[in-house]
Amino acid sequence: MITAGIDIGSTTIKVAILDQDRVLASLVAPAGGLPAETARSIFRQALDQTGVAESGLAAIATTGYGRRLVDFGDLVMTEIKACAAGVRHCLPADTIRTIIDVGGQDTKVIALTPEGDIEEFSMNDKCAAGTGRFLEMLAAKLGLAYEEFVSAAVGSLQTVLQMNATCAVFAESEVVGLLARGEPKGDIAAAAHHAIASRIASMVRRVAYPEQACFVGGGARNQALVKTVEEHLNASVRIPDTPQTVVAIGAAVCAQRKLQNRGTTTGTEI
Amino acid sequence: MNDTSQFDARFKLPPVRTDNPGVQRRARVIEHQAAQSLARIARRPPDIAWFESTLNTLPAGPADLPWVGYFCNLVPPELIEAFGARAVRLDCGNAALVQTGEEVLSGEICPLAKSSFARFLDPSGPLASCRALILPASCDAKRKLAEVLSDYVPTFILNLPTEQDAGRYLDSAARELERAAAFLAGVLGVRLSRRSLRAAIETSRQRAARIRELDTLRTAEPGSLSARDAFLILQASFTGIPPAEWNRRVDAVLAWMRAFVPARERLRPRLVLTGAPIIWPNFKVLNLIEECGADIVGDTLCTGMQAGWDPVQVDEPGLRALWRALAARYTFAAPCPCFVSQGRRINRILELTSERHAHGVVHYGLRLCPLFDMESYRLNRILRQRGIPFLNLRTDYSLEDTEQLRVRLEAFLETVEGN
Repeated sequence: MITAGIDIGSTTIKVAILDQDRVLASLVAPAGGLPAETARSIFRQALDQTGVAESGLAAIATTGYGRRLVDFGDLVMTEIKACAAGVRHCLPADTIRTIIDVGGQDTKVIALTPEGDIEEFSMNDKCAAGTGRFLEMLAAKLGLAYEEFVSAAVGSLQTVLQMNATCAVFAESEVVGLLARGEPKGDIAAAAHHAIASRIASMVRRVAYPEQACFVGGGARNQALVKTVEEHLNASVRIPDTPQTVVAIGAAVCAQRKLQNRGTTTGTEI
Repeated sequence: MNDTSQFDARFKLPPVRTDNPGVQRRARVIEHQAAQSLARIARRPPDIAWFESTLNTLPAGPADLPWVGYFCNLVPPELIEAFGARAVRLDCGNAALVQTGEEVLSGEICPLAKSSFARFLDPSGPLASCRALILPASCDAKRKLAEVLSDYVPTFILNLPTEQDAGRYLDSAARELERAAAFLAGVLGVRLSRRSLRAAIETSRQRAARIRELDTLRTAEPGSLSARDAFLILQASFTGIPPAEWNRRVDAVLAWMRAFVPARERLRPRLVLTGAPIIWPNFKVLNLIEECGADIVGDTLCTGMQAGWDPVQVDEPGLRALWRALAARYTFAAPCPCFVSQGRRINRILELTSERHAHGVVHYGLRLCPLFDMESYRLNRILRQRGIPFLNLRTDYSLEDTEQLRVRLEAFLETVEGN
């Protein structure tokens, strides 16, 4: 059975095509200003890559903040549900009790039961502080490309500089103040990562289990963030091979599961 | 004014008035948008427009009836009605008015206090014609708001016990109500009679009976009336309209609900809603819950069905017994977290969840209200211990976080339904 999962996030769109347990394709592209159209074209690209025709798909599941923006899906679910299913699929051998998902506009912590079901979850409030977008904004304020910003932070993780960074707007003026004081950019970049990581660690302690955590989403590709999160959690985190497409894979898994459950029941199943 | 005044006349300030036409316009837009959201409800009572317009434009009643404003579900409206006055509950849910409130008060107080206060700042507003105010000494915001408002209108602060222990404090709570009555008698120049207080209590008992029936019908068959319309109908009774007219209109709604025959079995998740007051037009959380496909089958909100559920129980005919009956109902049965002993509130939530076969509990925390926020600590853990799914939605009056809240709620419902 072949299914597709499309995760329409605020910053990027992810598509995964799944044949039973095997990921046939997984793609990431910037969302741009027309997410519904971008989703359609990335989905087409993914199909082209696999050589599967759209009519060969058993189901298409959409998730993410734009989950209802597209009109060609068969099944809609939240990214929280898809993420839990995706992690179980991508890290089958590990006992994961905590998922940290740092995306473009949200940071989520999901606590899982030993069976891998959702036990509790927590999300950042409406401010973008502590999200991927926030880090991009600070990089721009420092006049650095995002990759330069991350490697500058990696090189200065021992800094004693402190940032508060509880509000995206105030953090910007905090950076201006630090630059004016002549603080090195690497230290500022590292301090920003520490501030976010410390808050993520608090979120984990509030709802979940620090020892058995995995890290997904675009944020998991940021080495400085991974290192600082591990430091503040005082534990190492597992990272799947494709941390950004875990949610899209999870959506495709949920679609499979739904079809399989339907197959085993008759008639009145809803 | 009179010897019951609780405020030092030497430090009285001239009342501030502001007239911000931009905010007033936005306030009307917000009411309109709230009405549009409700207009999408599939099945609504025929007379719902009357309840809605009653909330939007406080109806002008007979000119000879003085208006007395009150806050919270801790002040008995019967006390006001017994003086032949119209009791108008002034708690406000309009997001636009928060800004007007901030023009005078600090930004760091709850949106409810700010927007409610803003209704006094508008010189042309209907509330500028309130003859007196009664505020309970419930949360910090209400206590201090009473002090500020005492510059505008003669105001009485109703003292409350910290513990809801009727055995210890019922007498003193009843005496506080007598004191409030003496205050009103002084301001309005009217004497209170036992007969008029009894009559007001009797009318309110009729109101409670209707709210109970409405809630019972909804619990049995949530498709018979949306929770949003139920809140709308209830809150229309806070606006000072003659209680008899509200009763008559609700009778028609009840008949319409009784006649409802569902086409199919209802499969939506059933939720108990608890937490901070949800007041028109801030129906954001109610909208989200119903739009996400869940039913609210019980609440403990001081602006919801809980606000009107308990009838005043009169055992003896004397005036003192009437005050005690009102105190028992309004102080000791109140669901407000301004009282310690959270156990009573947790118990009520557990009872509702079990009696009404709810699948989970949603707690609405109002930003800048520490009382509800801190209570969610114990509530969350107790419910989880008992295997009852729990979601805390913490937000304020603004609409900008609607989509984030929707994700939380949908994800919660996915786990509740076991999908």
